[in-house]
Amino acid sequence: MKLKINGVERQVAADWQNENLLTVLREHFGLTGSRFSCGIGQCGACLVHVDGIPMTSCLIPVSEVVDKDVLTIEGLAAEDGTLHPLQQAWVDERVPQCGYCQSGQIMQALALLQNTPQPDDADIDRAMSGNLCRCGTYTRIRKSIKKAALVMKEAG
Amino acid sequence: MVQLTRRNFLIATGWVAGGVTVLYTLRNRAVAVAPTIIIPNKESGAAWVQIRSDGSCLMYFTRVEMGQNANTGLAQIVAEELNIELEDIEAVQPSTSDIAPIAVTAGSMSLTAFSRPTAMAAATLRESMRALAAVKLGEPLSMILDDAGGFQTADKRKVSYADLVDKDSVMVEFDDTKPSPALYTFDPQRSKKQVGRDATPIGIRGLVTGAAVYTADVPMQGVLYGRAIKPPVRSARIASLDTSGVAETSGFVELVRQGEFVGVVCKTPSALDAAMSKINVTWDLKIPINQDEIDRLIDVDAEMADGDLEHVLQDEAHRKDADWLIDLRFDVQTQSHAAQEPRAAIARFGDGSGAHKLEIWTGSQDPWGMKRFAAMDTGLSEDDVVVYAKRLGGGFGGREHYEVERDAVILARAVKRPVKVQWTRKDEFTASRCRPASAHRLRIATDDAGNLSDWWYGYITGHVVFSRERLPGWLLPVARLAGDMGVVKGALAPYSAPHQRVEYKDVDLPIDLGVWRSLNGAPAIFAIESAMDELAVQQGMDPVDFKIAQMKGKQPRLQVCLERVREMSGRRSLPHGSGYGRGFACGIFDDRSFVAVSADIHVDEIAQEIKVLHMCCVQDVGMAVNPDQLRAQAEGNMAWSVGMALLERFEVADDEIKSSNYDNYAIVRMSDMPSVDVEVVDQPSIPPAGAGEVALVAGPPAIANAIRNATGFRALRLPIAFADISS
Repeated sequence: MKLKINGVERQVAADWQNENLLTVLREHFGLTGSRFSCGIGQCGACLVHVDGIPMTSCLIPVSEVVDKDVLTIEGLAAEDGTLHPLQQAWVDERVPQCGYCQSGQIMQALALLQNTPQPDDADIDRAMSGNLCRCGTYTRIRKSIKKAALVMKEAG
Repeated sequence: MVQLTRRNFLIATGWVAGGVTVLYTLRNRAVAVAPTIIIPNKESGAAWVQIRSDGSCLMYFTRVEMGQNANTGLAQIVAEELNIELEDIEAVQPSTSDIAPIAVTAGSMSLTAFSRPTAMAAATLRESMRALAAVKLGEPLSMILDDAGGFQTADKRKVSYADLVDKDSVMVEFDDTKPSPALYTFDPQRSKKQVGRDATPIGIRGLVTGAAVYTADVPMQGVLYGRAIKPPVRSARIASLDTSGVAETSGFVELVRQGEFVGVVCKTPSALDAAMSKINVTWDLKIPINQDEIDRLIDVDAEMADGDLEHVLQDEAHRKDADWLIDLRFDVQTQSHAAQEPRAAIARFGDGSGAHKLEIWTGSQDPWGMKRFAAMDTGLSEDDVVVYAKRLGGGFGGREHYEVERDAVILARAVKRPVKVQWTRKDEFTASRCRPASAHRLRIATDDAGNLSDWWYGYITGHVVFSRERLPGWLLPVARLAGDMGVVKGALAPYSAPHQRVEYKDVDLPIDLGVWRSLNGAPAIFAIESAMDELAVQQGMDPVDFKIAQMKGKQPRLQVCLERVREMSGRRSLPHGSGYGRGFACGIFDDRSFVAVSADIHVDEIAQEIKVLHMCCVQDVGMAVNPDQLRAQAEGNMAWSVGMALLERFEVADDEIKSSNYDNYAIVRMSDMPSVDVEVVDQPSIPPAGAGEVALVAGPPAIANAIRNATGFRALRLPIAFADISS
């Protein structure tokens, strides 16, 4: 059983083939940036992209993503460590408090900007309202998305 | 003797591998039953700051990190005192073996309690280094001036910290018979470089790249996965238990029964889920769990009709038969913490070769408490146990108890392998130590001039700090006699009346209770600020003017907050049309933190919803060490205010906890979140007070008062639903 995670092909060992994608990412491959929070696809803390589509990895059996491309938060920054504009905006606006949900928030924001490069408030509400943040960092998330959108537009 | 022990302690744990360290001696020991309560002062504390032989600074975090970023504020203080940059500090989260016990991280006390000792430690270190510089430069001490990262003379001969520290270990002992060194942080005349600026939280990069390590992220060779069943209340006893089929689950390792503890260990998380789902348990409850029972227990009117409430906080020339203009009852619902991280712990028993027999990784607000409880639980000595404190994915008062740690310890001991336990989301709700429901009766009368003459406030709430789940049975009666400090938060209004009585009763409820952000502060101040608003409106007065007048000049800091929030909110006009309103509220938390909030809302008849559009918040917690993080906490508190006012409702029925996940316990989402403006009142000459929960006391009543302003509807019960207004 193979899948591609952040551009690298990985083999899922036999013991882990009955698990969901989140468990395999975290416990088998040690990619712990995607996090378990609700377990029923209601909060977005485990959000990753599968073939470019944002999905809550706690709900997907790993067997369903065989041979697919999975992008996790660990694959977002450039190889030289340069942060993605979204990550940089998150730092500049000092978004995280406890931080537990923020990987999922950033991955959802990435999907939003891929579909809607210049989102307005209503777009952000629609796209981001499935990603919960108990600390209540929403105002800074909103600001960061708009900021990253501008940076990405200027960079072309 | 004590100092010798401490020296050995430090050297044994690798603190002093060459360098100058500040050492405080430690004389206090926490009592075993309560959370760890040691607050550092001149006499107690620990070595936290060290300048190493390469001149770099090592600082141990004294606070557990859960989003409040208090450690960044403390690091700013160290940088200020040492004339270095934040980036020059290597910050390390210590284990329980690295430094002496430090108090539980709770109650928004971090900067209040730790800013001065931290400043003193760093200033003592600085002055010791200055003495070394005087020797090195051959100048009298008075000629050695501060410089970035070291010192200089008037003729610009410079010496850096690195030049001054050799490989020998030097311990600087703080001696409180000597005058304290000058504390730059607390000098209001001084123009500061680090304190008072918007510093980016230490470790933020890891939070946006996924590299930050929470408990469940800790890599662990050979780890197994475990979990235990959770009763609806901790007093429940197992009535029947059926575990048939559990051991046949593929990947099953062990079933552990120990009294009321029933847990399972498996090789993978999915195997664990499958095995746990086969356990059927029924519980014997002492008290039925349902809302009617809770409502009956907190019925403040029934109790006040019977006579005085149990505790009296204030009683001045009380008149029972005043001509009450306001006579309202306010009810506040039960709420759960619902932190984003379901709590987790990893336990590993050693083979005897290492320094510790038991290692625990956990995101607890009280690592030293966990160490003590684990030692008591296992019969090991405290020296045999080490707790590695991990970052918490949200605390809010819900992470002080030895629980998930106990699950992991029992299971790891049974299987002789490291075991990771992470509660399910349902476990988090089922085992929640909730903010108790409460009921508040407020009566207000005025004199001929319209000023407050009589104030009579009685309330009943579940226990907060002294709940039966938090203290051993033998201690409860004594503690409760003394009064539950959580239950009285917020109960004394900032307004003056010649005749006043404030009384309360705290009761056991059929669900487990505990500490939740702001304790009783938000419920009490919701009642007080709603009642004052109603009185002003009924008298045809502006609520802000009225409240300020009734403070009678005795609350200058609160008054400034209220005046400024009015001005701030006035910069934005309310949209025209029906259903729009603006409300104000203010409050004091723990005597030293002041806040005022405005809320603009829309009661939308077409969408059938109440929408909070915009909130302004002005907060004065004394010295603003990191204004940006004060704003961040206030913003978070505005989200919690919307949740408390409009959304959150912890449901119980049929002897069960019905709230089980985010699909049936609503917390604020992006689409619920208003825009927020926060202003911080900086008071450089007042030591910093708590900022983590103050704004939550004023947010909910501001929203309720805005609804009154928009619709004439006075909310008497939280959360407020759209249907409440139309009915």
